[in-house]
Amino acid sequence: MTEAKKFFALVRRNMKCYFKDKILFFVSLLTPLILLVLFATFLRAVYLDSFEGIFALFSFRPASQRPVEGLAGAWLLSSILAVCSVTVAVCSNAVMVSDRAEGTVRDLTVSPVGRVTLSLSYFAANYAVTLAVMLVVLALGFVYLAAVGWYLTVKSVFLILGDVFLNVLFGSLIAGVLESFISSQGGMSAVSTLVSSLYGFISGAYMPLSQFAEPVRNALGFLPGTYSVGILRTHFMGDYIAALTESGMSAEAGKALMDSFDGNLYAFGTQIPLWAMYLIVAGTCLLLLGAYAAIVALRRRKR
Amino acid sequence: MIIEIEHLKKSYGEVKAVDDLSFKVREGEFFAFLGVNGAGKSTTINIINGTLKQDGGEVYVCGEDMSRRPERVQGQIGIVFQNSALDKRLSAYDNLKSRAALYGIFGAQFRERLAEITEMFALKDFLRRPLIKLSGGQRRRVDLARALFHRPKLLILDEPTTGLDPQTRAMVWNAVEDLRKREGLTVFLTTHYMEEAAAADYVVILDSGKKAAEGTPLELKNRYTGDFITLYHVREEDVKTLGLPYEKAGEAYRIEVKDTAAATELILRAPALFSDYEVVKGNMDAVFLNVTGKRLQEV
Repeated sequence: MTEAKKFFALVRRNMKCYFKDKILFFVSLLTPLILLVLFATFLRAVYLDSFEGIFALFSFRPASQRPVEGLAGAWLLSSILAVCSVTVAVCSNAVMVSDRAEGTVRDLTVSPVGRVTLSLSYFAANYAVTLAVMLVVLALGFVYLAAVGWYLTVKSVFLILGDVFLNVLFGSLIAGVLESFISSQGGMSAVSTLVSSLYGFISGAYMPLSQFAEPVRNALGFLPGTYSVGILRTHFMGDYIAALTESGMSAEAGKALMDSFDGNLYAFGTQIPLWAMYLIVAGTCLLLLGAYAAIVALRRRKR
Repeated sequence: MIIEIEHLKKSYGEVKAVDDLSFKVREGEFFAFLGVNGAGKSTTINIINGTLKQDGGEVYVCGEDMSRRPERVQGQIGIVFQNSALDKRLSAYDNLKSRAALYGIFGAQFRERLAEITEMFALKDFLRRPLIKLSGGQRRRVDLARALFHRPKLLILDEPTTGLDPQTRAMVWNAVEDLRKREGLTVFLTTHYMEEAAAADYVVILDSGKKAAEGTPLELKNRYTGDFITLYHVREEDVKTLGLPYEKAGEAYRIEVKDTAAATELILRAPALFSDYEVVKGNMDAVFLNVTGKRLQEV
């Protein structure tokens, strides 16, 4: 009971440390902000052009622009949520790294609190912080979609919420494992810069995987991040494609849209079903959890 | 005994940080642990507080084997680190609250102790201010408040007054002295200030991971330094007639003799020279220098 209270006190302390560090907080939000600026300045136009191209190919002219605008927004929102679940987690886990870099961890380890409790508190605080940021981004995204064209069903909204919870777990575990080996601010900056700049590309969040050459696409198929993006894409795009189909777009055009914008994911020519995507992401989470536990146990023994 | 260390050994690769170190600290004692940087002080402290495992030997704190379940005794230990290890962006209040929770102090118990500790270290004016905005002295007071919040039996002070102004140093020592008298707190001190070590009940001097000397300050002074006679208003050629090595100290001359008896003998031998003079015992600086061949404050 007391150990649980100590755990929650540590989680509160870790979260407070994160939110009080204004620079860290701002840096965490940098990736979603950059994506939003890119979307507003030119990505939106690029997406809409691509949609138009596919519509023209299937001789479809949408009666209303609302599902089209909404689809572009939904695609972007799925990208932001997938990428930022990892980049925000990597940044907000900086509390763990700076505790080590600044020597604060000494003050915690001389206290009568278990090493496992301490390590879990970093993970839990990181999960809570990242989830809070992601839920705010999601809420703002929903407001935008409501303004340009809301076609999401209640079921999809709940599925998306579940996806966000899973993606944040995935991101927090990646951050926890990756940053267990870092004990300097320089190392932390290098990792967060690397992750922020690379992750969006290799997971297909910035650019649909369908636009990569096939060997690259197949190689990226081995990365679990691809499927954490894919899950969100499926749930965000599905209702918009359905709305367009209802307004007269052919099923072939819908499939072409889904294929071109990673609503359907393929590896080695085979479509990956949604359940397989969940299995891959959940399985990776379990593996990362095992790795995190092993690192904590090893550190405990090394004391 | 609150600390019992027997044949402690700890190496980092080829470097022997602590080599066959044994000593004991009595309950309620003011214990000074001296050594230059790299002598093995921090390693020993980390083993005592349970954050580092030894390679060999035994360490018991409050009767508990620190290599097995350190968390069982960590609640009895308070530590002030050389450099503050608190959260700089959080307020003193938040720091104390989060750390108190780790010792199972919550709610009314926390508020009650906070009131006491705030009074003890005069924290009221800056309790809600982030640590980053506090002066060095104010931060040190918060460090002490954190170390003592859970009423430890053993307080480890790792160079606690380095860089502090004299007023804050005095405040720190008054508070520690007060707690020693009132609550029988044991104080384990490492310091670069020899006048602080001189006030200790017992001193251990560490050199290259090994115990170089131990005893009360008086025993150490008697064993490792002589007495110093300072002669004023005398001519150098008269000092030379004493036939002892001397050094000029401003306008005076300083002569080191074996002990107070030797000083008395010298005065009786040449009373004409001793119209204005003083005899003092060697200080802890001299002890340290003679034991290790190194000056503590220079390293």
